[in-house]
This record gives sequence, C-alpha cells and structure tokens, in this order.
Amino acid sequence: MVATTSIRVLIADDHPVVRVGLRNMLQADSLVKVVGEARDGVEALELARKLRPDILLLDLAMPHVAGMDALREMTSGNLNTRTIVLTGLIDNRQILEALQLGARGVVLKDAVVEHLSQCIRAVMQGQYWLEGRPVQNLVQVLRDLTAQTAPQPRKTFGLTAREMEVVTLITEGCTNKDIAKQFGISEETVKRHLTNIFNKLGVGNRLELALFALNHNLLPPADGQ
Amino acid sequence: MPVNETTLASQVFDQLQQAMVCDPAGFTELYRDYLTDAWQALRKLSEAVQQKQADEVRARAHRLKGSSQVLGAREVAQCASALEEMGRNDDVQGAGVVLEQAGRALQQVQAELSNRLGLAVVPADQTAAW
Repeated sequence: MVATTSIRVLIADDHPVVRVGLRNMLQADSLVKVVGEARDGVEALELARKLRPDILLLDLAMPHVAGMDALREMTSGNLNTRTIVLTGLIDNRQILEALQLGARGVVLKDAVVEHLSQCIRAVMQGQYWLEGRPVQNLVQVLRDLTAQTAPQPRKTFGLTAREMEVVTLITEGCTNKDIAKQFGISEETVKRHLTNIFNKLGVGNRLELALFALNHNLLPPADGQ
Repeated sequence: MPVNETTLASQVFDQLQQAMVCDPAGFTELYRDYLTDAWQALRKLSEAVQQKQADEVRARAHRLKGSSQVLGAREVAQCASALEEMGRNDDVQGAGVVLEQAGRALQQVQAELSNRLGLAVVPADQTAAW
C-alpha cells in the first residue's frame, strides 16, 4: 500500500531543461516531492547518500559517472533508494543490465508525462515497471530479455564442421593449397569440400561463398567478441 | 487551436501546462530555454557534421533527443535519434539532410509554441544563424 507521506524523489539528468520539465511534472503530483536534482552521475551518488530519497530518477547517459555505473554504486551502497531508469529508447541489453544492477523501473523519456507518476507509485508498492506497465512476473521478463539479447546461434545450413572451417578460411582469402596444408589433407579433398559447400549453399564461386557467409552469420565470432 | 501532434505532443504540452498553472511565466521560460538550447544544439551539430566528428554528433544529438522527448517535440526527437545513430555508427555522411529536417521541425515547434504562448517564448536571435 502506498504511504500517505510524500514520496521523496531525486532527479538525475545532465540536461537542465529535462530536469526542470521533470520537476514541474512531478510537482503536480501531490504525493511526490522532488528533494534534489543532480547534473551527473557523481552528483547523483552524492545527493542520494545525503538526501536518502525514496526514488532516484536516473538518466543512463550522463557525464563523469555514467548512469549505469551510478546504478552499480547505488546498489552496492546499501541505500534504500529505488532507482527508475529514464531512457531515450528501448535497448533490451541495456534494460537487462539495469534490472540486473537493481533498477526497479524503466521509463521512456517520451512517455514520462504518461507513465512517470504511475511508475513511481508502482515501484513504491514494491512492483517493477517496464514497457509502460507494472511487471507481474519479473523472472519471466528477465528470461525473455536474456533470450532476446543472447547472440544468435551460428547457422550451419547443413555444412559439416570441417566444411564450416573451410568456409572460414575461404573468407580469410586462403587458397586451396593453404587450406590443404593447414588441415593436412590433399588439395583434391579441399576441392571436394568446396563442391559440397557450393551445392549446399547454392553459390557458384568463392566470392559468392564469402558474401553468403558474411550475410548469413556463417562465420565464427571474431576474437574477443 | 489544437497543437499539431507530430510537431508537439498535446498530452505533454497540456499536462505540463496544467502542472505549472500557477507559474505561466515559468512554463513559457521552460519552453524558451528548450528552444534556445535546441537551436544551439543544431548549430553545434552542424559544425560537428562538417568536421566529421561522429562522437560529438552522437553526444549532442542524444542530449537534444532527451529534452525534445520530455517536452513533446516528437519530430525533433526523431531527427535527433537518427543523428545519434549515425554518430554511433561513425557514419555522418547523410546527416546534413536530417539536420535540415530537424531545423524545419524545430521551426514548426517554435511556431506552435508562439501561437500558444505568444512571442515571449521565442528566443532572441536564435534561429538567425541556422
């Protein structure tokens, strides 16, 4: 149940016009009291520690300490403040990271007028808020977001493991001789592999094969990715 | 006269105006500050595009997108979003066209606001250099 005392809100956004707009929007809500405004991540953390607000409205893209780093600090800082992330667009990877770091809600900046007060109330009631509504099943949301942000599995188009290796080397510009040497097989065997690959993928030459591989996610991820 | 939805979201404008009903001068000042900042952002974006400073384009466009979204200037926000994406992709070649579109959209926002709030909302000499 929502308390009858004011919900104390701290606004953190580097843009003064946004801060003024948010403050005025929230001042119209009799249950909300804006207790402070921060211009960057460092100030957000300082004011959160000092003012102990119920809610921190946090822009993710701020100078000095970025919003995500501020969120990480907030979570580890043993504060009771609940964070609502303000963002310009839906980026599932970013939302997933924010939720994992302890954010309780995500509101699009172009929907603040419509949703911010509702979101603040929902979060104060212990709920999570995403995509313009309270979340009933956070576990399911996290599972869905994780699935959506997971890298796409590498497609094989029926190629064998060795044929996939041959494709990778072809796209790197290796000749049949190079490939034969690398795998310790004859050039005839490499040619046979290539014929099979061409037939399976419906391509006619090495260039078409390289383009197909690039366009269809056929190559292994680069090192470090 | 209703506010053009694409230019300026009426729900945002009306609700903000309602929220600041006791401070109409402050409401006008808020939008004047937005226009001042947005025109300046477009000028800086134009410079950054000419100098092919993709990261500068990304950062400035992101800021413009945020304020435009919060104050309901939807088309300006959409243009800023496109510019931000170009900057992120390190490809600002087509940014000039988007900038021009953003300038036209902002001019429309200013005209709408001027209709609604009077000439006091128009910043002095802000559009001249654009």
